[in-house]
Amino acid sequence: MEETEKPVEMEVEVQDAESEDIADSFLCCVCLELLYKPVVLSCGHISCFWCVHKSMSWAHESHCPICRHPYIHFPSICKMLHCLLIKMYPDAYKMREIQILEEEKSTRTFSPQFDALVCHGTEEAKVDGSSQSCTTSTQCGSSLQAVSSRDVAIQEENAPQVKLNENSKQISRSDVLCVSCKQLLFRPIVLNCGHVYCESCLIVPADEKLKCQVCQSLHPGELPNVCLELNHFLEEQFPEEYAMKRCAAQLREKTLHSESSKAYVHGTHKDEDRKSLWSGKVHIGVGCDYCGMVPIIGDRYRCLDCIEKIGFDLCGDCYNSRSKLPGRFNQQHKPEHIFQLMRPNPEHNFMWRLRTSILSFSPDARNETAPNASSPGPIPPTEVPEGSELELSLPFQFEADADEDSSETEAI
Amino acid sequence: MAAVNGQTEDRYQGNTPAVAPSPKQPLPAAKSVDTQSVLKRLQSELMALMMSGDPGISAFPEEDNIFCWKGTITGSKDTVFEGTEYKLSLAFPNDYPFKPPKVKFETACFHPNVDVYGNICLDILQDKWSSAYDVRTILLSIQSLLGEPNTSSPLNPQAAQLWSNQEEYRKMVEKLYKPPSAA
Repeated sequence: MEETEKPVEMEVEVQDAESEDIADSFLCCVCLELLYKPVVLSCGHISCFWCVHKSMSWAHESHCPICRHPYIHFPSICKMLHCLLIKMYPDAYKMREIQILEEEKSTRTFSPQFDALVCHGTEEAKVDGSSQSCTTSTQCGSSLQAVSSRDVAIQEENAPQVKLNENSKQISRSDVLCVSCKQLLFRPIVLNCGHVYCESCLIVPADEKLKCQVCQSLHPGELPNVCLELNHFLEEQFPEEYAMKRCAAQLREKTLHSESSKAYVHGTHKDEDRKSLWSGKVHIGVGCDYCGMVPIIGDRYRCLDCIEKIGFDLCGDCYNSRSKLPGRFNQQHKPEHIFQLMRPNPEHNFMWRLRTSILSFSPDARNETAPNASSPGPIPPTEVPEGSELELSLPFQFEADADEDSSETEAI
Repeated sequence: MAAVNGQTEDRYQGNTPAVAPSPKQPLPAAKSVDTQSVLKRLQSELMALMMSGDPGISAFPEEDNIFCWKGTITGSKDTVFEGTEYKLSLAFPNDYPFKPPKVKFETACFHPNVDVYGNICLDILQDKWSSAYDVRTILLSIQSLLGEPNTSSPLNPQAAQLWSNQEEYRKMVEKLYKPPSAA
């Protein structure tokens, strides 16, 4: 029944969306449209989930499209920003959703779906955060209602729309709270898991790994940079409070001059990762569905029971920690699923590098893989489909690649 | 997870039998819809480019193909290319902006990093490409490349050799220069 109603809704929204003037801060630098399911990279730059996914290299470390900061972990979607954008630009965001869903249907690979509850989660936090005065009492009322009638809210993302009628574009403090201090975010930092903290709330002893208090997942790599776009936005939205916070922060800094919050460095691990990128233990084109490491370096476990095209893979660390996070692409992964330890496939890696013309920068890779490629002798029957698949996809790649590459494939 | 966009990961790795269920593994058929998003992006780039009014660069799609643009850049002031204008062609791939467009000089350009066919050797058009670059930044980069060539790995060795003698170089540019309108 809902489906028949939808198209009408859409048409109305299409018209409305034009009128929403989107701030530059919330335009994706890649697709140049309103951020959709925003991901904050460790350098603090924001982009859409799919824009990040498609921009990643999948063969070696990826770089931020804006600042080239290298990263090997594909962060989770920042749900707080997601909800913030739904609230600020309900029509444009809905349009983006429709548009992206269309694309996802054609590739049959879906980005994580959030039901309306995700956004109500932040509202709940507001009720918890006792320190603040409830400026928009109507909102508190409606959100509580929505929380109580969860079943209704789950069905569709109607709930935000209902609320929009009265207090749509009004951003309240409750939308931008630190998950740790439950106060207005100040100099926000988004962790790999997508949860947002004040910079000052993230002090981690140098010998321990940074762990998210909300989802308990370890943050890989070094402490991310402050998300400056969000910081700027908050400063504009809450100028007085921000000014106060800045004064307080400066005072604190003077007293605690010696202890810097940036003490947390994940150095050794990172260097190891970098080194092993070109050694054998890299799974090109495959990422970990928990921590987002792309490509997986070291052990890789593949779920044998997940039927989704995109597959479900874990890196060695995440496999051992048995994290309970959902997959990155809505995979219907269940704890009882069976994993298989996968060995890196030098031939596959070689072909991948060839296709993406990375080979030209690493002449060693050819020497490394060539003996391996010939050693198995007769190709096992199971590998035939792999070869045919590569052939199928190769022409597509060559359209974009340099001509030298094609001559190299012929040599093989 | 695996890469998408035709970069699907092989499902038959190593010599383990194909245990993973593969009854309905569709071939990547993303192209048509992806094209839609490329189209949108190119349209907004065009809008932004026309609004920005950067001096010395311009670009516009060919008649009915938004995937092929013609651009122009003018040589910057106080360089040997001052007063010259160059036409370029930009061909966008279907996976733009995740892959760079193919950019070529249509007007002959005597430059260390441009060959006789108009091919340009510029890192941001190859391995240093970033999906946040756009037509505007490409044209601005090429414009600044004109005045600041990389003479250590030239496509045109003659131009690279002559670069040290700016006066002679200027003469050469003038001699070889054919205004794009005449072409």
